[in-house]
Amino acid sequence: MTIAVQYFDDNPCRPRHFKPPPCAPVIPDGPARKALDACRRRLFLTSVVFACVFATVALRVVEIVLLEGGTAQSHMPRFHPPAPSTPARADIVDRNGKLLATTLDTPSVYANPKQILDAEDATRKLVKVFPNLDRAELYAKLTSGKSFVWIKRRLTPREQYEVNQLGIPGVQFQHEERRVYPDGALTGHVVGYTGIDNSGFAGIERGLDNTLKNHQDPLRLSVDLRMQYVLREELQRVIDDFTAKGAAGLIMDVNTGEILSIVSLPDFDPNRPDAPDPEHPDIPIADRMFDRITLGDYELGSIFKIFTVAMALDSGTSTLTSTYDASHDIQIGRFTIGDYHGKHRVLSVPEILMYSSNIGAAKMAVAAGGQRQREFLARLGLLKAPKIEIAEVAKPHFPAKWREVNVMTIAFGHGISVTPIGFASAAAALVNGGVLRPATLVKLPAGYFPEGRQVISAKTSEQMRRLMRLVVEHGTGTMAAAPGYVVGGKTGTADKVSGRHYVERKLLSSFVAAFPINDPKYLTLIMVDEPHPNKQSHGYATGGWTAAPATSRVIQRIAPLLGVEAVDETSLEIRQALAVESLQGKRIENY
Amino acid sequence: MIRLRTLFWLLLVSATGFAMFGVKYQVQALEDELGRINRAAAAEEHEIRVLDAEWAYLTRPQTLETMNRQFLSLVPASTKQLRTTVADIPMRPPPPASPPPTVEAATMVAAAEPAPIPSAAPSPLDQASAAAPLPNNPAAEPPQTQSALRAMPALLEKPPATPQPAKASTAKAAARPAPTHRAKSLDDLISQIMASR
Repeated sequence: MTIAVQYFDDNPCRPRHFKPPPCAPVIPDGPARKALDACRRRLFLTSVVFACVFATVALRVVEIVLLEGGTAQSHMPRFHPPAPSTPARADIVDRNGKLLATTLDTPSVYANPKQILDAEDATRKLVKVFPNLDRAELYAKLTSGKSFVWIKRRLTPREQYEVNQLGIPGVQFQHEERRVYPDGALTGHVVGYTGIDNSGFAGIERGLDNTLKNHQDPLRLSVDLRMQYVLREELQRVIDDFTAKGAAGLIMDVNTGEILSIVSLPDFDPNRPDAPDPEHPDIPIADRMFDRITLGDYELGSIFKIFTVAMALDSGTSTLTSTYDASHDIQIGRFTIGDYHGKHRVLSVPEILMYSSNIGAAKMAVAAGGQRQREFLARLGLLKAPKIEIAEVAKPHFPAKWREVNVMTIAFGHGISVTPIGFASAAAALVNGGVLRPATLVKLPAGYFPEGRQVISAKTSEQMRRLMRLVVEHGTGTMAAAPGYVVGGKTGTADKVSGRHYVERKLLSSFVAAFPINDPKYLTLIMVDEPHPNKQSHGYATGGWTAAPATSRVIQRIAPLLGVEAVDETSLEIRQALAVESLQGKRIENY
Repeated sequence: MIRLRTLFWLLLVSATGFAMFGVKYQVQALEDELGRINRAAAAEEHEIRVLDAEWAYLTRPQTLETMNRQFLSLVPASTKQLRTTVADIPMRPPPPASPPPTVEAATMVAAAEPAPIPSAAPSPLDQASAAAPLPNNPAAEPPQTQSALRAMPALLEKPPATPQPAKASTAKAAARPAPTHRAKSLDDLISQIMASR
């Protein structure tokens, strides 16, 4: 299509230099005009559209800037505060689900001094939130010109909120995981504690470190917090009453090997393992960290006689009617074996245990022979380190060469040192029908009895129960009686070893008990380290005067919690179940 | 004809475009929401962990013991207070001719002490049968029950197992008017705690 070029100077009379004023070309109707009109229309439409769009943008800007449009937030560049990550370490709970250890995500606040505009103002505000911070020191930190300074580690949620409210630019949070033990010292030795990077350093935290790291579900211990509290309180009472150096105790289910409570005093707070005890600042930290139940091995003294008697009865070298002459001390080598409160007469086997006669026990062991004694103790697992979930476990110490003097001293618990936990497992086997089950700190499913090893016959176990009842009824352990709960047990008083000698006045008094002894369900073991006699105990600090009353108190407090029914101990049924035939009809002389 | 087709395609293209952007923004919004909810859930979970720890801390046996000493003065039940078998529990006495007992007195007894109040009698274990004529119908005789309740501290000092702190607390309980200070129910205890703040 060609457009004819038309000029407007087609006036023949125009001046020579006349130029017509500029104006829109008049386009005649035709195809060209049509095209131009279409162009104009399009141009107009486009400009309208653009005008609309720009008007919208302008309005929106006005809305956001001047009217603070409500949804401005949602159009900001997306910023996600880091979500607190799921904890990397499982919780620990007690057998009833009560929290013993958990991991909390705790914020720590730091500052970037380069971003801080007004250090003086920031210091003033921060000190208001953290009154403990030193103002001058904080100001120096904030003006140091570094790019990272800690202000305070491990804030509480409230402190974090308050710092957030201050809104100081350049002050930020960093999240750190921290293990928290709500019950503090009460479960310190069992649960243990973790280090900076949350790896287990002691107790269950160390022993089951991998389990805790790889699982999310809480780890359920066999420990019962209530019993833990009762035991700890009573042990503390014994320490205070007898100005003892320490005390330890455990409560165990004799039929499953579950440990319901394990306490060692003095103890420490796992939340601050190395902080001094506010009440006893003079006790060294190493002493408080020391778990007497698993890490300590002791010459336990007379409570060991239950093994001697069980060995003699089980192997048949003695019967309940056998008698041994305990009227004179035994002289062997440079040792003299005597009785603490001797009866100076011939004693039968029940009487040896009842009156805790060293001479009688020694003679009984000699009659059975060292070989048999050693085999028996090995069968009870007392000659190797006990297996338990806690990592800190001591090995027993015993003579490499089992001479006659060793046979005699081991018969009453000297010359061999074992851990209390190993002792408790073995003692549980003596009363539960003769089945040795390993002690465990992890809760077993209800009704599940771990596989055990028959170490003595059921008959011997029954005899042992009757004999242990006799000790509490008439013997050295009368103070352990807990009315209604039929306690049976054995006292122990050992001289402590210092270097190569026994120290006369330093005792380790203990009591092992099972209840109800006619059908044993639970075992308690209480040890008191270096008790001193007081007025109430008439100058005694033996097991019968220190650990036995504590056992009685503990049993009376825990039995209702454990659902053990109180019975009438004087009923014919129970008396028959626990009578010792060989003493029937005889007058039993009280200790 | 061509225009119509163009128009159709144009419409289709713009419709698809709009739809695509619509879906994209929707997805983005949903993703945002998901992230927000996830973060909120994680924060909530963290909160729960903190509260769990706090609950465990606040219900430590030590704390409970202190609170007990302050508000309830309960002591461990001694075997004397226990009735072991169902047969030991005496039958309900025949309805008295006097007006029925007030509910208040009954709930008070139930909440104050689980042990049978008239355990002033020797041991119920060996005297189970003899226990029947004893005033073990506390609900029927409110005044007597009240006096028995007041006498509780004195009774409780008898068992050998009474721990030291309890003794101190019973002494304290005796020093102050017991019935007004001792909480009778959980609600009562809570209101006392609130009031003491």
